[in-house]
Amino acid sequence: MKLRHAMVCSSNQNRSMEAHWLLKREGFDVASYGTGQHVKLPGPSLREPNVYDFGTPYKQMFDDLRRKDPELYRRNGILPMLKRNLSVKTAPQRWQENAADGTFDVVLTFEEKVFDMVLEDLHNRKHVLLKPVLVINLEVKDNHEEAAIGGRLALQLCQEIEAAGNWEECVDDLIMNFERQNHRKLVYSISYY
Amino acid sequence: MARDQALSLLAAANNHGDLAVKLSSLKQAKDILFSVEPSQAAELFSYLAELQSSPEPLVRKYLLEVIDDAGAKGSEHLVILFPVLLTFLKDNNPIVATQSIITGTKIFSSVLEELALQFQRRGIVQRWLEELWTGLIKFRDAVLGIIFEAGPIGPKLLSIKFLETFILCFTLDSTEFDMCNPEVIARQGSMFNVSWIADSHPILNPHALMSDANRHLEILLEILLSASKLPGCMTITAVNSLVAIARKRPVYYKTVLKALLDFSPSIEMAKGRHTVSIQYSLRTAFLGFLRCTHPIMTESREKLLKELRAMNAGDAADQVIRQMDKIMRNNERASRELQFSKDDQLSSQLHISGELTKKRTAQLDNENQNNIFEASSKKSRHGPHNSKTTTASDAKQDHVNGISAKPPVLDGDLTPVEQMIAMIGALIAEGERGVESLEILISNIHADLLADIVITNMKHLPKNPPPLTRYGNLSLNHPSDTSDPAQVVGSNGFATSTQSLDHLAQLPASSLSTTSGAVSDTFATANLSTDSKRDPRRDPRRLDPRRLVAPTDMSQTYVVEENVGTVQHPTVEPDFNPVSSSSVLLSAPQSVPEFAPQPLPTIETDINLPDSPMTIEVDEPIQKYEVHDFDANVITPDKDANNYLHLSPSSGKEEDVVSPASMDLAMLDEAYSPSSEASDELPPDIPNVEASESASAELPVLPLYIELDEDHQIRARRLALERIINKYQNSQRTDIKQTQIALVARLFAQIDVSDVIEMAQKLIISDYEEQKGHELVLHILYHLHSLVISDSASSAAAVYENFLLGVAKSLLVDLPASNKSFSRLLGEVPNIPDSVLGMLDDMCTKSHSGADGRDGDRVTQGLGAVWSLILSRPFIRQACLDIALKCTVHPKDDIQAKAIRLVSNKLYAVSYISNSIEQFAKNMFLSAVDQHSSDALLSESAISDRRIGGQVEGAETSTSGSQVSEPEISPDETMKGVLDDSSNIFSQAHRHMSLFFALCAKKPVLLQLVFDSYTRSSKAVKQAVHRHITVLMRALGSSYSDLLHIISNPPQGSEDLLTQVLHLLSEGRAPPTDLVVTVKHLYETRLKDATILIPILSAFSRDEVLPIFPRLVQLPLPKFQMALAHILQGSAHTGPALTPVEVLVAIHDISPERDSLPLKKITDTCSACFEQRTVFTQQVLAKALNQMVDRTPLPLLFMRTVIQAIDAFPSLVDFVMDILSKLVNRQVWRMPKQWVGFLKCISQTQPHSFKVLLQLPSPQLESALSKYPNLRGPLAAYTNQSSIKTSVPRTTLVLLGLASETQMQQPHAVSSLHASDGPTST
Repeated sequence: MKLRHAMVCSSNQNRSMEAHWLLKREGFDVASYGTGQHVKLPGPSLREPNVYDFGTPYKQMFDDLRRKDPELYRRNGILPMLKRNLSVKTAPQRWQENAADGTFDVVLTFEEKVFDMVLEDLHNRKHVLLKPVLVINLEVKDNHEEAAIGGRLALQLCQEIEAAGNWEECVDDLIMNFERQNHRKLVYSISYY
Repeated sequence: MARDQALSLLAAANNHGDLAVKLSSLKQAKDILFSVEPSQAAELFSYLAELQSSPEPLVRKYLLEVIDDAGAKGSEHLVILFPVLLTFLKDNNPIVATQSIITGTKIFSSVLEELALQFQRRGIVQRWLEELWTGLIKFRDAVLGIIFEAGPIGPKLLSIKFLETFILCFTLDSTEFDMCNPEVIARQGSMFNVSWIADSHPILNPHALMSDANRHLEILLEILLSASKLPGCMTITAVNSLVAIARKRPVYYKTVLKALLDFSPSIEMAKGRHTVSIQYSLRTAFLGFLRCTHPIMTESREKLLKELRAMNAGDAADQVIRQMDKIMRNNERASRELQFSKDDQLSSQLHISGELTKKRTAQLDNENQNNIFEASSKKSRHGPHNSKTTTASDAKQDHVNGISAKPPVLDGDLTPVEQMIAMIGALIAEGERGVESLEILISNIHADLLADIVITNMKHLPKNPPPLTRYGNLSLNHPSDTSDPAQVVGSNGFATSTQSLDHLAQLPASSLSTTSGAVSDTFATANLSTDSKRDPRRDPRRLDPRRLVAPTDMSQTYVVEENVGTVQHPTVEPDFNPVSSSSVLLSAPQSVPEFAPQPLPTIETDINLPDSPMTIEVDEPIQKYEVHDFDANVITPDKDANNYLHLSPSSGKEEDVVSPASMDLAMLDEAYSPSSEASDELPPDIPNVEASESASAELPVLPLYIELDEDHQIRARRLALERIINKYQNSQRTDIKQTQIALVARLFAQIDVSDVIEMAQKLIISDYEEQKGHELVLHILYHLHSLVISDSASSAAAVYENFLLGVAKSLLVDLPASNKSFSRLLGEVPNIPDSVLGMLDDMCTKSHSGADGRDGDRVTQGLGAVWSLILSRPFIRQACLDIALKCTVHPKDDIQAKAIRLVSNKLYAVSYISNSIEQFAKNMFLSAVDQHSSDALLSESAISDRRIGGQVEGAETSTSGSQVSEPEISPDETMKGVLDDSSNIFSQAHRHMSLFFALCAKKPVLLQLVFDSYTRSSKAVKQAVHRHITVLMRALGSSYSDLLHIISNPPQGSEDLLTQVLHLLSEGRAPPTDLVVTVKHLYETRLKDATILIPILSAFSRDEVLPIFPRLVQLPLPKFQMALAHILQGSAHTGPALTPVEVLVAIHDISPERDSLPLKKITDTCSACFEQRTVFTQQVLAKALNQMVDRTPLPLLFMRTVIQAIDAFPSLVDFVMDILSKLVNRQVWRMPKQWVGFLKCISQTQPHSFKVLLQLPSPQLESALSKYPNLRGPLAAYTNQSSIKTSVPRTTLVLLGLASETQMQQPHAVSSLHASDGPTST
């Protein structure tokens, strides 16, 4: 049984894309989203982030930042990240606008706030299909190193869920085992499409 | 045709062996089924239904999909297929079971809808729908069974979801509150709910179904109760479903919320479940509720927030609330705009308020404005025709809010504080709905800003002193007469909002009649719209005594307004004064003629100020008032009467009513917090007071301003402070604390009573860390400091100093030394006065009275503080540095050690002070060398330090001066008394040098000074230097290289030191190459003292050692022995430079003449070697002798060594005999110096030596025997033995008297032969 996975962070750039990239490489059926209002990338200072709308192609951001300050954005890893992203998909997508993308079986979020937003969004959708969706939060700091670790953990988690067959039957054990093995705290919830 | 095809396909789906074929057949069959005529389809569907027994789960699942499609199409064939669902509920494959519930739920919804609509539209219900409904009820019961039966979890989750759907369908969808979000509304169509069902529906009984829904909700709640037995995901699903129900159907909200709240603590017990997620589901639930705008949910916000905070989700909750407030505000603004335009016309008719509005300046308090609006609008609308006091509150509230929400003068250039006030005002105007937001706003305002808001708002305080009675009624501990009913009413009217209404209602209503109604109305409005609506405990402003007035004075804002005007234009409007202003204003055309001017003077005149001379009125008037129904003239003295006269002709009664109230309040304020009057934060006060006084001459004088005497003021201030601080201690909430901190800081600034300071200190210290004492202290200090800066003449400086000193001392006394609070305090206070520095100095240098183990910690603490101050406070850097430096020469070892560690390890690394430190250390070192009085020196160094440090404040000069004299005098005086005691000199020198050597460890170049001054040092000082340098060199380790420069060029007289340094450097390890090179070079060029070579000898090779060997021998014996040890030790790489054998040979090779060494030195050296028997063993000696015996010429001391060898090791005798034989062969008699030794050896080793002796030619034998006559006898006896005699030459025998003379020739020949041989061999 092949599950559909969604990786969600706030800007659909770093954490979710790292996981998306890894899972895609491993042959998973996976998509990725952000829950923020905009796509935000670090700028020259904390107060001046680069803000884009969801749907702006990664390529466009890449060109934009390379034009602005290639040295800075190469050094802080933004350009390499964008390059990676544009090899995965065209543009960042917003979770709240993904109704057309169909249903997912497993949604992995990488931040509590994102988790809350996904759940609230799912709550507000009309539950027509009554298809259960497992939403799991795996807290990952928003930097390149942590994202790489988080991506691997996400992959492992998805593999375990996929291997379990019916996650409904064993989700508690699965989550607790994963926590024990990786010393990570997870939170899950169940919603419906 | 189609039928046959479908049948064959279905058969294939049922029987074919290949799953793929089955599925594709089924798929094709389905397509046909939905396209054939209904009559044919019925039969086919029943065939299809047979597939339910297919062994393939995928086939069964696909069958479900077909049913799903059929359901979506609303096909009546569902009746045929529906039983399949019931069967599949029990399917052993959970996926099939799950899918059947899903399909069933969908069909349930659509059938229900169809049922309701069909009846609505056509008045009938089709039969198949009826049948289906019966099936669905069965289905529902089966699904309910699944939840609690043992089985796979997947279907259970869907069962719960089915329950949710069921409940939602059969409850009234009364509101759309959950859909506050337009996005959501757009997305969701309207869903079926029970209201769609007509009451007369033949099948569906809405009431029965609703009660079913209630029962089902209980099942869901039951799941929560038995959560500990169920899997975690079921609990989470149940929680989520309950939340969905509660949000969509607010009727159930309370039930659900209660269940969830009760549920939370029991989660902990669950094992084998992911409790974190369950907990989180509650968090999500509560956050979800917060997002809802339904009144029932907003009501419980408080509870939800509390719960969320307990879950550490306070931030998330606040964020949600902010979002919601924003949305709400936007919604309200739209609706308000309409309302406002309407009410604006109304209010413009009111001249009073209109005028006020015009006069209002930007700096005015918007809060007041709003309330003016409220009051005035209310007057206009309700005043004239309100006959019942009780109508005051709710009904009007909305309207009032509508009016006042948009303060007309809100825009303009307001300061941040004024903007905040404006915002608070706006929120207050929102009434009930604004309270939440107001609370959030206030809790988010920074304490400083809040305090400023309060202070700013106080400008609008009324000048009229109100009676103290209200204060008493407010349950504060002022004694007051509460028995008076009128008084109670008046006070409560202010204090407790709606309560006042009740009270009023209970009053002798007839007497009060409409007027009193208006009064209470006004009061109530003012109060309702402000504080009282909030939970009073939560309002930080309540804790500010001054603030207490701010909300209540709104009811008489115009008084305030005029006061401000008076202050600003005293000359222009001289007749405007606080007291009269109300009347002046009120005499504006707006009047309400149908009401007789009936002021309520009693309220105002009922001043009952304990402890004050202001007890003007007594209870009596009130009695009269009650009895005589507003007989003002009777009640009041002429002042009041004047007032009324002035007021009454034209003013509306409300205004009259209001003005006493305002005075009431003002009085309260004064009494409660007199400090505010005295404070310079209220500059307008003074002119106002004057104005009012002058006015009182012509106008009725009301109880104006209570000039408390000094004692009262002080007492009241202290009281206020005490209360706040006590509250502070008990309160747990940080937001309140923030406010309290700011308030206490300001109060402090106005109080210079020392005992208050102490009291505060105690409280602050008692729980310094947890209770934010630190913040409080800093607030106070900064405030005091700002006063000092703004007014240098003020006494705040002294208060500041006292307070800081006090707090610092208490911190030291009360907290353990390891606590960082002290140092943090000093690091963060705005300014450090001298006295604190003095204390710090004492702390570091003086041991406190209790000489226990804590002292050391205190010193550490003090030094730690000094350290951080040096780093963080440039202004007192030098003073602190001086303290630290002084400690480095402290007579107490531990203090000194700590200080030195600090200075050398930490401070010296800091670039901007390293020079001062270095200079100080140098000075101290030199003083030790020159044995200056350290007293003189210290001050000298302090001065020089100051020169280096640049500008230092005068204050610090005095500090450092005192520091110099204080601690050092006593040790030095004792020192002088015993100055000639060298050990004392030593210890003093040692002490003064410590820092310098510690610095040398960091910067070895500094050692140059040590070398330079070494020569002139006294013995004791040298001793101290040696001791230090030992430690230093060991500490230096490999970083010696800086020393090479010094070593290569040592000053005259520092050889001892140099030697010691070299020793230490090569101690325990191979001397480093660069050191060896340097020392060698030094030896070769400048310093011909081999002593310096000793430490590095082990690194020398044989060829290097041999040339200098005589020089080593030349050294005093102990040094030679040391050198010898080094030579023999050698390096790990090359082995010893010389073996013991080689050493011996080398010693023997020394020629006294050539090497200009006295022979004695060499013999001593030799003897020294022999003493080391473990090194110079028998074998070593034998080997060395063996080597040397062949030398030509023989080493001078050879025979001496032989004799010593045989003395030391008698067992060497045979070996020595061989040597001697060799010597005989080498004609030892020709070497006079050796010959003596040879004979001595022969003599000493007899009788072993006889054999050798007999080898001597006769003349030599004869000379030997003549020299040692006692040999003759034993030799003759030995020779006479038959075995020997034969081999002995005849001449020898003759010589010994064993043979006759005749045989003498032959041995002669032999002897001559020997003689001729000798020279050739030599």
